[in-house]
Amino acid sequence: MFAIVPALAFADDATTGDRDVPAIRENSFVQDPSAVQGPSGGDSNGRGATDSAGTRVSLPIDLEPIHRRGGVPQSLEILRLMEKQQRRVAERASKCTVSVKIGPAQGCGVIVSDTGFIITAAHVAMRPKLKAIVTLSDGRQVAATTLGMNREVDAGLIRIDPGQNGGEPWPHASLGTSDNLVPGMWCIAMGHPGGYDPSRGAVIRVGRMLEVRPDVIRTDCALIGGDSGGPLFNFAGELIAVHSRIGNDVADNLHVPIDHYDYSWDRMALGEAWGFLPNFKPTLGVSGNRSTKVAEIIAVKPGMAAEAGGMLAGDIVIKFGTKPITDFQSLVDAVADTMPGERVSVLVQRGNATVRLVIEIGRSG
Amino acid sequence: MNQQPIARFSKRCPSAFVLTALVSMVLSAAGFAPAVFAQSTPHWMGHGRYQSSIASRDSGAMMRLVRPLSEMVEQSVVQVYSGGDVVALGTVVSEDGYILTKRSELSGGEPVSVRLPNGQKVDARVAARRKSNDLALLKLHGGDEANWNIKPATFSTVDPPTGSFLVSPGRDGFTIGIGVLGVPARYVAHQGRLGVNFYDAPSGPAMVRRVHPESGADNAGLQDGDRILKINGRQLLGSQSAITTLGKMYPGDVVRLTIKRGENTLELDALMCDQALLMESENDAKVNGPRNVRLSGFDSVIQHDTVLAPNQCGGPLLDSQGNIIGINIARAGRVVSYALPSSLVTAEMIGMLEEARRPSE
Repeated sequence: MFAIVPALAFADDATTGDRDVPAIRENSFVQDPSAVQGPSGGDSNGRGATDSAGTRVSLPIDLEPIHRRGGVPQSLEILRLMEKQQRRVAERASKCTVSVKIGPAQGCGVIVSDTGFIITAAHVAMRPKLKAIVTLSDGRQVAATTLGMNREVDAGLIRIDPGQNGGEPWPHASLGTSDNLVPGMWCIAMGHPGGYDPSRGAVIRVGRMLEVRPDVIRTDCALIGGDSGGPLFNFAGELIAVHSRIGNDVADNLHVPIDHYDYSWDRMALGEAWGFLPNFKPTLGVSGNRSTKVAEIIAVKPGMAAEAGGMLAGDIVIKFGTKPITDFQSLVDAVADTMPGERVSVLVQRGNATVRLVIEIGRSG
Repeated sequence: MNQQPIARFSKRCPSAFVLTALVSMVLSAAGFAPAVFAQSTPHWMGHGRYQSSIASRDSGAMMRLVRPLSEMVEQSVVQVYSGGDVVALGTVVSEDGYILTKRSELSGGEPVSVRLPNGQKVDARVAARRKSNDLALLKLHGGDEANWNIKPATFSTVDPPTGSFLVSPGRDGFTIGIGVLGVPARYVAHQGRLGVNFYDAPSGPAMVRRVHPESGADNAGLQDGDRILKINGRQLLGSQSAITTLGKMYPGDVVRLTIKRGENTLELDALMCDQALLMESENDAKVNGPRNVRLSGFDSVIQHDTVLAPNQCGGPLLDSQGNIIGINIARAGRVVSYALPSSLVTAEMIGMLEEARRPSE
């Protein structure tokens, strides 16, 4: 059940959302050390504290209010300063925005450490231990392996397989925090809308935050298929969120706040996958007996995925995708590792025959 | 190709959320092959929509901020009517009433008129066309010429870099929206499609294997098993020549098909569309929102993310200094608006004005 009132106190409105006004600084370069948070796990030193190779750029003092609180620039001069800033961010951001291809599915990701950790959306990474092809901004393709995913918020982790950059550090994003985001703030989205296009590259979009919640932020940076897993930056060039999903309205673009990657880093780095987005639980629509030695289907629920795929009561499931099924619990676990909409090849024992079914996974609460 | 899962989900939840990964259309039947999937709209989303206007990029306050830029070109922006509806904007290019607009929106022979910056509505005729970049040159011919109060646009040679703010003015100093330059000028190909599959035939007529539902072919009444003898009066030499001939057509073009159905020979007119649209899922169509029919096939276009309605193309596109850097030419998708750069517009305009002013024999 979703709350109507945003849970965070600072998400009240666009103009009074600031809760942490920093003192005006004397120099024109602001690098807030409190904003520097890195992945707490992993073997990397990719915490982004020193950022000559990162995406963080100096912020002109006149852009400080716009950067912190968002809102409408006071003059066209400020607007022109903003565009200078977003050009600089775009240039750096495009270097660490990558295309991620796993099987036929294409999404984006962003490199966050010089050792090649890539954060993305959980539904782009799909499952732990999958082989992924990562296309860098210069078109070079490298091999990567999926680690873990927190599907509760759609956060996923991938790592570029070691030894592919001649010992050189990977270009990576500077990490910000999603702790101080407020509606009305400006943000810069990068990604590969419609998939990777070598003649075009990553495409910048600029918009504002319309809603900030603990698990999701909504912006009017227009996204579309292929952008998932791509980065959202603030005006200092710090990574603040990752693209996740969209609604029909062009202003309904949802992103995973970056702090979730910090919270979930250790488990994801160990290759754990857990949870599901609300209304997004992968579902087969069968019942079985957990105490027997085989995965025998007792009943197929009408109108659900298994029925549509031709599964019958009495079928004994022996293989689900690439996973051998030994009992009903292992079937339950295998289904939990899929995503709604996936088409999975399923082998069942029906009487004396072995039958292959293709089932498109459904979803439930 | 399998679009079924997407269609099923979208029918079940009309305002669904779509995970934004892209799935290639070639799905292997075996193994894991995910499809784009959907989630019903969370409750708070509806709540969020109401407050979005204050905080959004295109908020009223933002539009007021850039209004001075739109007002700089106020006398050069008109609205174009065809058959009583506003179909496009237009950019004034000469004192004596020549206006550039989007050609493909001037549908078949309907009378054209123009709403001038001062609100006056004046008749116009099409004086020249350039199909390759979808431009039409209109000539005003009505009302009191002295009161037109129009000013030709000054096209700028400035070439703003990626990440620059762009402003799209409407008529009367109004601003339609702001956006950001996402991709510098590039060639955008087109792939004309009728919406049919053919049986392989090395020569002779092309036989229709399957008509895609709701395609131009479907709407024209083409049926499975029809034999296409001619396209625009030209005899076909097999299925490959049909595909090649149709592929060269621009989306929005209407083709005349001469077909043989049983013993009857029929003539059908069918609207071409771009292959990308034919391939996309129902959900993709929904999230893309309203688009122009002619949304691809340009020699050179700037890509930006300003949200335009399909009938808001044809007007000038400004940089943050108010320079006219191009003309909006298509709303092509949720994240894509295209503009012809000023250099291309200027070259086309010179040729078209010359053609229009050439004394007729």
